[in-house]
Amino acid sequence: MNPRPDPNHLRVSDDGIAKGGVLLDVRNVSLAFGGVKAITDISLNVMKGEIRAIIGPNGAGKTSMLNVINGFYTPQLGTIVFRGKERRSMKPHQAVGQGIARTFQNVALFKGMSTLDNIMAGRSVMMKRHIGWQMLWHGPALREEIEHREKVEEIIDFLEIQHIRRTPVGKLPYGLQKRVELGRALAMEPTLLLLDEPMAGMNLEEKEDMSRFIIDVNQQRGTTIALIEHDMGVVMDLSDRVVVLDYGKKIADGPPDEVKNNQDVIDAYLGVPH
Amino acid sequence: MFYPTAGQFKTSYQADYALFPVRQDAFLLGVIALFAFVVFPLTASEFTFRALLTPVLIYSLAALGLNILTGYAGQLSLGTGAFMGVGAYACYKLVSIFPEMNIVVAIALSGFFSATIGVIFGLPSLRIKGFYLAIATLAAQFFLVWLFQKWGWLYNYNASGAIQVPNIALFGVTVAGPRATAIAQYYFVLCTVCVITVFAINITRGRIGRMWKAVRDMDIAAELVGINLMRAKLMAFFVSSYIVGIAGALFVFLWRGAAEANLFDIPLSFRVLFIAIIGGLGSVLGNYLGAILIVALPVIISTVPKALGLPIDAATAEHLNVMIIGALIITFLIVEPHGLARFWAIIREKLILWPFPH
Repeated sequence: MNPRPDPNHLRVSDDGIAKGGVLLDVRNVSLAFGGVKAITDISLNVMKGEIRAIIGPNGAGKTSMLNVINGFYTPQLGTIVFRGKERRSMKPHQAVGQGIARTFQNVALFKGMSTLDNIMAGRSVMMKRHIGWQMLWHGPALREEIEHREKVEEIIDFLEIQHIRRTPVGKLPYGLQKRVELGRALAMEPTLLLLDEPMAGMNLEEKEDMSRFIIDVNQQRGTTIALIEHDMGVVMDLSDRVVVLDYGKKIADGPPDEVKNNQDVIDAYLGVPH
Repeated sequence: MFYPTAGQFKTSYQADYALFPVRQDAFLLGVIALFAFVVFPLTASEFTFRALLTPVLIYSLAALGLNILTGYAGQLSLGTGAFMGVGAYACYKLVSIFPEMNIVVAIALSGFFSATIGVIFGLPSLRIKGFYLAIATLAAQFFLVWLFQKWGWLYNYNASGAIQVPNIALFGVTVAGPRATAIAQYYFVLCTVCVITVFAINITRGRIGRMWKAVRDMDIAAELVGINLMRAKLMAFFVSSYIVGIAGALFVFLWRGAAEANLFDIPLSFRVLFIAIIGGLGSVLGNYLGAILIVALPVIISTVPKALGLPIDAATAEHLNVMIIGALIITFLIVEPHGLARFWAIIREKLILWPFPH
């Protein structure tokens, strides 16, 4: 049994921004697909070290927002400032290089690969040895592999998935797949972790486990988290600040208690006669 | 009982990354290697080498190349035959332009030609997937075979339009050409195939292999974990076509001795694809099992009536052969759609637990 990882050792994503400083700033972003407006003029920011929730009814533009943040969609208007650097468009694999990782609403794991390989794949950006060393499987390539394997094993211990290390992820139950996906995102050592409905389709016990992992990631590894979730109990308990979207517009932003009592939010969720 | 893995503990990641973490696997491979390197050469006849052992190895190598592209990186290709042709013609030109060049160097270099061509014909993979990509690679098949026929420089303006392998010696032993002995050729092919197989295993289990498999299983997610899809796909085309090109060079230089352009036509591509599919996509072992089934079994079956003294004429034996092989292929695919390699994996799993399956 490996000892519990030392939190200071794991705090890798140091980038000069103090805790509480603005890590990500989305400014007046609008995104449309043809005539369909997915996001209209939304500004929001994420502070370093916080857990930020994005909620809203179905079709409110939450997932589009995440896709804009990690470069999968390019917004027509507005800018995104991440770690002090401004950008309009970029490729998703460049966003990874900047320190943004994400999980998906419907699990997007590599089904034919084992848990270990899936999480190792999360470290592909950090592995550099070229094919010449790879085919010899000696010296630098092997050293690099072992070095990253140790990091991955730390994550496996952290998420308590040692027993499924060699199992192809296609054979795993849904709750464990979600956990492996979180592991793969963690392997990228992100500064900002985007979680798209991490608790969708889970039972109570799995939700409790996942909540625990999210808090631990935030506190032990110092990772900033932005999450989308429909379970209000979870959102209100976990997050530091909540932003509410409805029909592509921002209708509320603030601490959970404030948002909970906002009349617009209540109307959006319960529906009001127009 | 036969396969007890209990008690084989790994205390370091290095030990866990050994080529054969399970002792019995290493032992089994040792036995196979003993047969391949010692027993067969001592006992086999000229016919066995030429009709069975050498072609099985060469076809396995070609299937391994295709498997890297299709099985690991998920890019369907029907251009294998043409890429083999590029390797063969490149090797032929290298040997005729630089007659004193070492044959090993010539074959290794000719792989780079087919790799380059492979990357060029792999460019459509950046935009299209699956069957549509297969059709795009089919263009390579038609274009290259046409080129082999029309471009006289490739076959040194022979009247016959075919390439003839000259006598080539390696360390004083003739390995290619009419004067080469079957056993020398067999050893040459065996060593090449072994070395490339080890390289292929190492590539596919490391960083690059994971990259390919990620692209195969879910390309969007692969991009979002930071994999550059373009590089990953083109690298798969490069490595795959390199190995296929080497297989093509061996195919002509170490086995056929001569070749015409239409040898590299679609039937060859399909043959290699069948080997890879029946052997098992996404496995290295599968290529060997597939090649044994598709290449060796027909030869073995056709000798059976003669050995038993049955009065069957050659044409009937040939037809029977096709029927038996076809039935076997269908049976194997129904019993195990993931190929012979998975078949073996299941047997091995059962053997590890046997006789206490619970």
